[in-house]
Amino acid sequence: MQQEWSIGLAVMAVAGMAALALLAGFVWSLWGARSLLHKEFFSYFLSPIAYAVLVVFLGVQGWLVANTLELLQASGPRGVEWPLQHWLASPVFWLVFLAACPLLTMRTFAEEKASGTLEMLMTSPLSDWQIVLAKYAGCLLFYVVLWLPTLVYLPVLGGLELTWTKALPQLTMSTDPAPILTTYLGLFLAGAMFLAMGVCVSSMVRDQLVAAQATLALGVLFLAGSFAANSMDGGAGYQVAYFMSVPLHFDRAFTRGVIDLRPVTLYVSVALFSLFLTVRSLESRRYA
Amino acid sequence: MIDVINLTKYYGDFAAVRDVSFSVGQHEVVGFLGPNGAGKSTTMRMLTGYLVPSGGRAVVAGCDVMNDPLKARSLIGYMPENCPLYPDMRVQEYLSFRAGIKGVHGALARKRVESCLKQCWLEGVRRQLIGTLSKGYRQRVGLADALVSDPPVLILDEPTSGLDPTQIIETRKLIADLGQSRTVLISTHILSEVEKTCTRAVVIARGKVLAQGRLADLCPPGQSLEKMFLDLVEEREAIGA
Repeated sequence: MQQEWSIGLAVMAVAGMAALALLAGFVWSLWGARSLLHKEFFSYFLSPIAYAVLVVFLGVQGWLVANTLELLQASGPRGVEWPLQHWLASPVFWLVFLAACPLLTMRTFAEEKASGTLEMLMTSPLSDWQIVLAKYAGCLLFYVVLWLPTLVYLPVLGGLELTWTKALPQLTMSTDPAPILTTYLGLFLAGAMFLAMGVCVSSMVRDQLVAAQATLALGVLFLAGSFAANSMDGGAGYQVAYFMSVPLHFDRAFTRGVIDLRPVTLYVSVALFSLFLTVRSLESRRYA
Repeated sequence: MIDVINLTKYYGDFAAVRDVSFSVGQHEVVGFLGPNGAGKSTTMRMLTGYLVPSGGRAVVAGCDVMNDPLKARSLIGYMPENCPLYPDMRVQEYLSFRAGIKGVHGALARKRVESCLKQCWLEGVRRQLIGTLSKGYRQRVGLADALVSDPPVLILDEPTSGLDPTQIIETRKLIADLGQSRTVLISTHILSEVEKTCTRAVVIARGKVLAQGRLADLCPPGQSLEKMFLDLVEEREAIGA
C-alpha cells in the first residue's frame, strides 16, 4: 500500500515539475512577445464583435443566475442542491459558450493572412511559437475578462455574510467554496481548449467566417455527447460520450467541487495539440 | 553584408528563383531590377526568412538566415510589397508596437519612434488611424517600420510604387541618406529609380540573374540603363522560348 502511495506521489511530482517547466517556457516566450500580446488583447476593445459577445454573454449569465436564485429561494421540493450545477446545466449557456469562442478566435490569423500583415509578423525576430502563444494568450485574457463580471454573483450564490464579532468584521460562507473554485477552474480550462481549437482553425483559413464556422463545428463535437449520454445506460458508449462531453464534465464533476483529472487531461492535451498544429500551420507557410 | 549563394525556390514544379547569387557590400545601395514575376519578391522573402529556400543559402551580416533566423531577422528592416499595415491602429501606436516586436522597449523605443516619425515625415499624422492615410503616407509608415529598430540592413520591396512624383523624389532622397550608414537592397521595376538611388544593380528575369555590377559597368558609354535592361530581358526571353 505504502509503495503504491510513493509511486503515485513520484508520478505527481514529475507531472507537476513538467507542468511548471511548460508554464515557465510559456511565460518566457510571452515576455519576449509582450508587445504582440498587448496589441492582441487591446484590439478586442476596438472591435464591435467583442462588445457584442460581452453583452450577450453577460446578459445570458445574468438571466441564468436569476433563475438559479429563484430556485434557491423556493421552498419545498423545488429547491436546488448545487446552484452552480443548475447555472451551467442550461443548454442556453452552452449555446452561448459555443458561439462565443469562435467569435473571439476567428480573426487571430485569418485576418492577418487576408490583409497580408502576417508577412510583417513572420519576418519579425519572433519565433512561430511566440507568435502563436501571444495571439492565444490575448484571446485567453479576453475570455477571462468575459468571466470576471460574473464574480459579483458569487457572494449571493455562496451565501456570503458579513458579521461583526467584538467590533471585528467576519466573513462567513454558508456553502462550500470548493464548487466555486473547481467550476471556475473548469471554465478556464474548457475555454482554453475551445480557444486553442479556434486559433488553430483560424491559422488554416483566410476567411474569418469560414474560421468561425469550422470552429463551431469542432466545438459541437465536444458538446453533442451530453445530449446522447442522457439516453444511454452506463456502458462503453456512455463512457465515450462522457469523456468527450464538456457539459457532462461540469454536471458531474466541476460544479460539485470535484476535479476530475480525465476532463482536465482532455482540455489540456487538446489545447496543447491545437497550439502545436497552429505552429506547424504557420511553419508550412514558409515552405509554400 | 548580404551574401546570396545559389538561392533557389520552387513553388511545386515551378522554379520562381534559380541559382541566384549576388553580394551587397556594407553601406551600399543596390537595386534589384527585373520585370514583374522575375522572382524579386520571392528572393527578398527568402532573405527575410518569410520563405524557406528550396536550395542555396543566404547570409545577412554574417548570420545565416536558415540556421539562425531570429538573429538574422533582427538585423533586417524589411518593407514588403504593398506595405501591409493594421488599419485600426494609429501611426505612433503602430510604430511602438513594431518596435516592441523587434525587441526595442521603453525609453529607447520612444526615442526610436520619434526619430522615425521625423525621418519619414510622419510627425503631422502620428495620431491618425492608418486606415485613413493616403497610399503615400502608408508607404512612409512601412519605411518607418523598417527603420524603427535601427537595423544595419534594409530590404525594401518596391518602396516607391504608388507614390506621386513629389513623394517619389522625397523617398529617393531618404533612401540615399539611409545608404550612408546602412546596407540597402531595393527591388524595383522602375529603372530611373535605380539610376538615381543605387550604386550597383542586380538584374533578374525568369528567376535567374542576368547581370550585376556597377551601373557604369553595366551600361556601355552612350547606352541607357533602359536599353541595357530591355536587351538583357529580351535575350533571356528568346533563350527561354
